[in-house]
Amino acid sequence: MHLFLLGVSHRTTPVELRERLDFAARGLDGALAALAARPSASDAVVLSTCNRAEIYVACGDVAAARADLLEFLADYHGLDSAAVEPHLYERVDAAAAQHLFRVAGGLDSLVVGEPQILGQVKEAFAAATEGRTVGPILNKVFPWSFTVGKRVRTETALSEGAVSVSFAATALAKKIFGDLKGRTVLVVGAGEMGKLTAQHLKSQGVGRMLITSRTLAHATALAEAIEGTVAAWQDLLATLGQADIAITATGSTLPILTRTQVQGVMRGRRNRPLFLIDIALPRDVDPAVGDLGSVFLYNIDDLQAVVQENLTRRVAEVTRAEGIVADEVRKFEAWLSARGAIPTIVALRQRFETIRRNELDRLQPKLAGLSEEARTRVDDVTRLMVEKLLITPTEQLKSTPDPDRVRTYADALTRLFGLDAEEPAQGEPGRGPAARRADDAGKSVTP
Amino acid sequence: MNTIPLLLYFAAGILYAVHFVMRDIAVGRSGTATLAMAALAHTFVIGMQTMAAGHVPIAGTTQAISTFVWLLALAYLYMEMTTEERALGVFIVPLLVALQFLRALNPVVEKRVPILESPWFGVHVASLLLAYASFALACVVGITYVLLFKEIKAKHLGFFYKRLPSLDSLDLMNARAVTLGWVFLTVGVVVGTIWAAQARSGPIFDPRVQAMSLADPKILGAVVCWAIYTFALYTRRLGWGGQRAAYISAIGFAIVLFNFVPIGYFLTRSHNFGG
Repeated sequence: MHLFLLGVSHRTTPVELRERLDFAARGLDGALAALAARPSASDAVVLSTCNRAEIYVACGDVAAARADLLEFLADYHGLDSAAVEPHLYERVDAAAAQHLFRVAGGLDSLVVGEPQILGQVKEAFAAATEGRTVGPILNKVFPWSFTVGKRVRTETALSEGAVSVSFAATALAKKIFGDLKGRTVLVVGAGEMGKLTAQHLKSQGVGRMLITSRTLAHATALAEAIEGTVAAWQDLLATLGQADIAITATGSTLPILTRTQVQGVMRGRRNRPLFLIDIALPRDVDPAVGDLGSVFLYNIDDLQAVVQENLTRRVAEVTRAEGIVADEVRKFEAWLSARGAIPTIVALRQRFETIRRNELDRLQPKLAGLSEEARTRVDDVTRLMVEKLLITPTEQLKSTPDPDRVRTYADALTRLFGLDAEEPAQGEPGRGPAARRADDAGKSVTP
Repeated sequence: MNTIPLLLYFAAGILYAVHFVMRDIAVGRSGTATLAMAALAHTFVIGMQTMAAGHVPIAGTTQAISTFVWLLALAYLYMEMTTEERALGVFIVPLLVALQFLRALNPVVEKRVPILESPWFGVHVASLLLAYASFALACVVGITYVLLFKEIKAKHLGFFYKRLPSLDSLDLMNARAVTLGWVFLTVGVVVGTIWAAQARSGPIFDPRVQAMSLADPKILGAVVCWAIYTFALYTRRLGWGGQRAAYISAIGFAIVLFNFVPIGYFLTRSHNFGG
């Protein structure tokens, strides 16, 4: 069995095509059901996010699976397979595992180290396991990738520090106010950036959202979108007095908050800290406001500098994270190659068992004269002998880390013991002296 | 015997420092475990000394310092467990090491003079030591508040930003520690006053008891501390949180420490019962 991956991501495919290959829109269940009907893809996991669409399958024949999946992709999304094919990437076995581990660790993400992807990988696996069974390979490699994702997160700083302006603003707010529950946020201006930051803060559990804008209609629309309350524009300073965090994002060409105004506001609030996030260009808040005690003023450039610094730090962690991935891929490879030896081991055991049975059957007339206990003893001894003979080769084969060598060994065993022959060659179980000697040896081992 | 806790405190201090810089959770946990072991060893030492001498070793300044170290270690461990915040250990544990070092230099348990054989004395010293431990925590929390405040204000989100809890929780911890310390300080001073008045009219004559007045540096120091922390609590009600509260608790603890160690050793005429 092989692990095979076929997919597209932001690295290989323009967004227009990625949108059309998205599985999430119609639900993963449908896609998984459609895949299950394909002969080579009965055992599959579909990972679909806004940046990637990947299908992982466990298959016997990689070429067949590839053709099958390509056809499925084209059919399911109603596309011409020739248009899709140049954008696809494919990985087999350890390379596929490496890809999955890098994805789960956030190394393959558009924003390196972003934390959501691990959750998405878990969801993809959960969807695939729901109500049906995922085979041993996928059942191993996916939980393994969760471990890799977790290791990357805890052992490196790859996911540390906010890497978008709104995340950076939220992280700062938390560092100042701790828990954001019970805090009040004022959004001044109803632009897109202000909305995005407000939504982020809202998702972190902010108590109250106040929205004010020169144009009442804009304020009302934003208030509806983020479940806030509209405050009158002329009461701006009074409203600011109630707020812990204020986001200013108006299109005004002149500052709407001067040092004197904010100073007045601060006096009224007994120096309770105020976090001003000025993401407007040109700036809405006079930079001199930042000199006031208990006022933390961050404009868009400050936040972008924070983001840039965090990104630089993340990039420095990539090497360490790749080291973790490489480490885990090596372990997975060993597991996979040990699995590769299993059919050979099974065949070898069957062969030995057949020989033993044949010999016992042949001796049946002679054994018939023995007591019940003695016959059981003969059976036990011969079985024990076979098992002891097989124990070392089995362990050796299972613990060989290099898949090429496993294949060589397996080939050698298949040849030497004629494991691929349908029936044992005539006379092979042997009536010759060798077989008889084995019988004698068996007797002498009797405990 | 006092060196075992000292060595453990020292080891814990190193682990906390490594944890603070590297932010390795395993190192942090072993730091906490080592500190807990130090406090446990210290408990045994104090317990054995109590049994041997027949009283808690708090009569002399050096002994009181060691008991203070023990209380502060326990108070810090309690705070760490309740707030799940390990970053402050790097500021507290060095103080424990420095003060316990004084104890290791002079490990004798002094004989308790007869005048101190009063239950009032125990209450007096215990509440003041608890007050000092709280003020030590408030001071450390205050210092870290200022460090973090300055980083955020200057927009250099670096070393402390990544390691310390939020400004809000630091401010809250400071407020709680100051309030608790103030309560113990008040109890300690009031009980001390009552007991001194009783002792003065009692049957035993002791020149030290006669010297117990505001003119004595140790007593004056305690009253100044009380004034400072009362001011801190009052101004907090007016909205002086954050940086100002942090500075006040730093000044307050500086005076506490000065009153405890140099004044306790060299200047007081009324509180030199040890040696």
